[in-house]
Amino acid sequence: MMQFPRYIFAGLALAIAAIPALAFDGKTITDATGREVQVPANPAKVFAAGPPAATLLYTLKPEAMVGWVRPVKPADRPYLLPETHDLPELGRLTGRGDTVNLEVLLSTGPDLIVDYGTINATYIDLAGRIQEQAGVPYVLIDGSFAAMPQSIRQMADVLNVPERGEALASYAEKTLADLDMLLADIPKDARPKVYLARGPEGIETAGPSSINAEVITRVGAVNVVTSDSDGLANVSPEQVQAWAPDVIVTIDRDFAANVGAMPEWQGIPAVANGRVYLAPSTPFGFIDAPPSVNRLTGVIWLTHTLYPDAASGDMRTEIADFYELFYGLRPDDAALTALLGD
Amino acid sequence: MERMTPLLSASDLAIGHGGKALFQGIDLRLEPGRVLCLLGPNGAGKTTLFRTLLGLIPPISGRIMLGDDPLSRLSRVQIATRLAHVPQSLTTPFAFTALDIVLMGAAALLGPFSRPGPVEHQQAMIALSRLGIADLAQTEITRLSGGQRQLVLIARALAQEAGVLIMDEPTASLDFANRVQVANAIRQLAVAGTAIILSSHDPDQAAALADDALLLNRSGVIASGSAQEILTAENLSRLYGIPVRRERSTDGRLHFS
Amino acid sequence: MTERRLSWLLALALIATLMIGAMIGPYALTPSQIVAVLGGDRSDPQAVTVLWNIRLPRVLAAAVVGAALAAAGAAYQTVFRNPLVSPDILGVSAGAGFGAVLGILLGLPVMAIQILGFVTGLTTVAIVLGLTLALRGTGQVLVMVLCGIAIGALAGAGISLVKLLADPDQQLPAITFWLMGSLAGIKRPDIGAALPALLIGLAPLIALRWRIGLLAMGDDEARAMGIDATRLRLLVIACATLMTAAAVSMAGVIGWIGLMVPHMARLLTGPRFDRLLPASILIGAGFMVLVDTSARSIATIEVPLGILTAVLGAPIFVFLLARGAKSWSE
Repeated sequence: MMQFPRYIFAGLALAIAAIPALAFDGKTITDATGREVQVPANPAKVFAAGPPAATLLYTLKPEAMVGWVRPVKPADRPYLLPETHDLPELGRLTGRGDTVNLEVLLSTGPDLIVDYGTINATYIDLAGRIQEQAGVPYVLIDGSFAAMPQSIRQMADVLNVPERGEALASYAEKTLADLDMLLADIPKDARPKVYLARGPEGIETAGPSSINAEVITRVGAVNVVTSDSDGLANVSPEQVQAWAPDVIVTIDRDFAANVGAMPEWQGIPAVANGRVYLAPSTPFGFIDAPPSVNRLTGVIWLTHTLYPDAASGDMRTEIADFYELFYGLRPDDAALTALLGD
Repeated sequence: MERMTPLLSASDLAIGHGGKALFQGIDLRLEPGRVLCLLGPNGAGKTTLFRTLLGLIPPISGRIMLGDDPLSRLSRVQIATRLAHVPQSLTTPFAFTALDIVLMGAAALLGPFSRPGPVEHQQAMIALSRLGIADLAQTEITRLSGGQRQLVLIARALAQEAGVLIMDEPTASLDFANRVQVANAIRQLAVAGTAIILSSHDPDQAAALADDALLLNRSGVIASGSAQEILTAENLSRLYGIPVRRERSTDGRLHFS
Repeated sequence: MTERRLSWLLALALIATLMIGAMIGPYALTPSQIVAVLGGDRSDPQAVTVLWNIRLPRVLAAAVVGAALAAAGAAYQTVFRNPLVSPDILGVSAGAGFGAVLGILLGLPVMAIQILGFVTGLTTVAIVLGLTLALRGTGQVLVMVLCGIAIGALAGAGISLVKLLADPDQQLPAITFWLMGSLAGIKRPDIGAALPALLIGLAPLIALRWRIGLLAMGDDEARAMGIDATRLRLLVIACATLMTAAAVSMAGVIGWIGLMVPHMARLLTGPRFDRLLPASILIGAGFMVLVDTSARSIATIEVPLGILTAVLGAPIFVFLLARGAKSWSE
């Protein structure tokens, strides 16, 4: 019953949205799907359809967020702007299963919905349907790693924060250009074979073309997984033995802590040489989770981790710079240590 | 006349389901080599009476004795060594061989962890031979005729080595040839000393097979006693609720129509 | 073929599949290396790790899981007098699945996930039996099966709820993989943890195997032959459930084995449970070893066992139906 007034409001919003924008004060943009979408000149309440979009929205225009897809975890709070900590959890609109109720979404009064991710027929269709049903413009932006600077600019444009977008996009461009310069001096045979371990057993992984492991290939490493499946897969420890990776990157804290004692992982070069690295994950993951602009931290971290001799500069400073620029807060030394380890 | 202890007896028995009596005042006794026929229309409760006698459901009141022991004090194994049941038909979805089925009769004679061995195989083959179907031992029951299956079930009851056989409508679903075959088997068993209690809805069969008869319909026990004495036109008319005539054919058999 | 000769033949076939399983794997080992390592040669530590810590535990686990599911299936089919029954009939897989995915959601250690799945699998069946008892008494097989369907559906709803609540980036994939069944993560301690439950479940089934077969005749007949049918069936259900829960909590949900293997065995032995049980165990173990060997050799990534058993199982099952249908029904 507590929610009753919200539904009335949702109904009102629906009714208002159903009225054609008589006094339309905005602009028409063409999004990644080729759809022409009329968006407000300066969107003030924006709903992010999934975690990647929420992260991008946060970095560009946190004051316009109406909520998070998932609630902010206590460990994430020191790295995020305080005013965003207690935004409501609204659920996701795309991806594996919708969890958002359209009426709840409308009750937050959004004037724009943004999504940042895979572009395919399903998502294009979904964007059109939601826009029609909810009467809120729905913009879809290409989430692939290669398109990142351009997508940041496009999203910034839509959100009416072009300067901010330019700052972030040029940072991304510079980071990737630095990476390419570094890689140019590293011969193919000096590039490590990397296995991405997920889950407490470490047997869940992702192939080179998967969005979950894209950053590993981008930093010039060889993903040992030869499958070209786009999603996640299970493999056996014996297969990892056969692949004999030089480095294991994991996003699972338990696996990172236990792998040294797991008999079936012994003898793998990465384990034998102590080259199992736990990717930081607060407030956003370095490798994926979500696959958004936060993956630039993965580029910095992996560059220093995989090529300690070739990488110039100080990783802690670079990461702190990124956090300050993108997330709005510069972590102090203690926070950096908590994030990256010693 | 000296009366021996009956193998099976019931006195002032009331039977039914869930505490509700279907009948009361049933008295019966069965001695070695005797055949008792329960005669009555379908649905009269003959199967309920059998399940009560087998101890599968408790009586509402009254008492059932197996020899000198009250049925209620006996374990399932003890009951099975004295009382064997021949169900109306063989209902299993699996294609057992005839021999497999007959071997099951040895369950009460074997320890809980034992399997039938050479002795039980021999006993099972003897039981099959007594019924003239030893050649069917390895045949799957799904390939047998209705009469053959009935004989297999009787053989299983014999392998149980119980003194009393309880047969529920042994010929109800059989054709003429099979009926004759099963009836002959029943008579041979009685001659060899087995006590048999069977149910039927056919008065001709009761007259042909039974020494004693118990007439039962939905209103209760109509008559009980020697088959020749109580299978009268009057009793049968009351039993079935229609006029029945009794004739004796030249060979001495009773026929009812 | 005599019973004894068939058992020997199946045992030899199982040994052959175990050897095949030990020979094949993504890590290249020559037969002579394998023989050397098995003989105690520790000069190549990598080969020792692969064989002793990864491949052999997995082959053994596959054999154990296959044997358990097949034995439980044969037992369930016999006591429910229905050749189309599988060990999931009373909700044990759904229940164990619910516990395990809940464990994944809560981020428990792997062994705790396994134990939670085992416990909820048993609890589900206990609830079904309790409900049956409360409703009509355990003699009512149909009531029992319907309660199993209802409680199983609840557990299924619980699984769906957990999937909804799970973190879609990390937990949801793990849940999905678990529900499809896999032995990729198996370790020696996992087998050790599951073995007691499997043996405790199996021992009474083997000891009472001939009597259990009499339950196929129906309750009244079995009781008239001197069997306490209600108690014996409860015991068999408890044992088969224990084995299934142990297998499922170790390997995830693997369908078809418990339904199909008893049929294959029945073609060789006939329906007598005392012969069916050993044959089902041997065939189930060998079949599962072959399936799992395929699961880890078809591609570099693991093919979930549930998918393989269904792909292999459905055609084999239809074939068996076509061959055997006449021998089960009138």
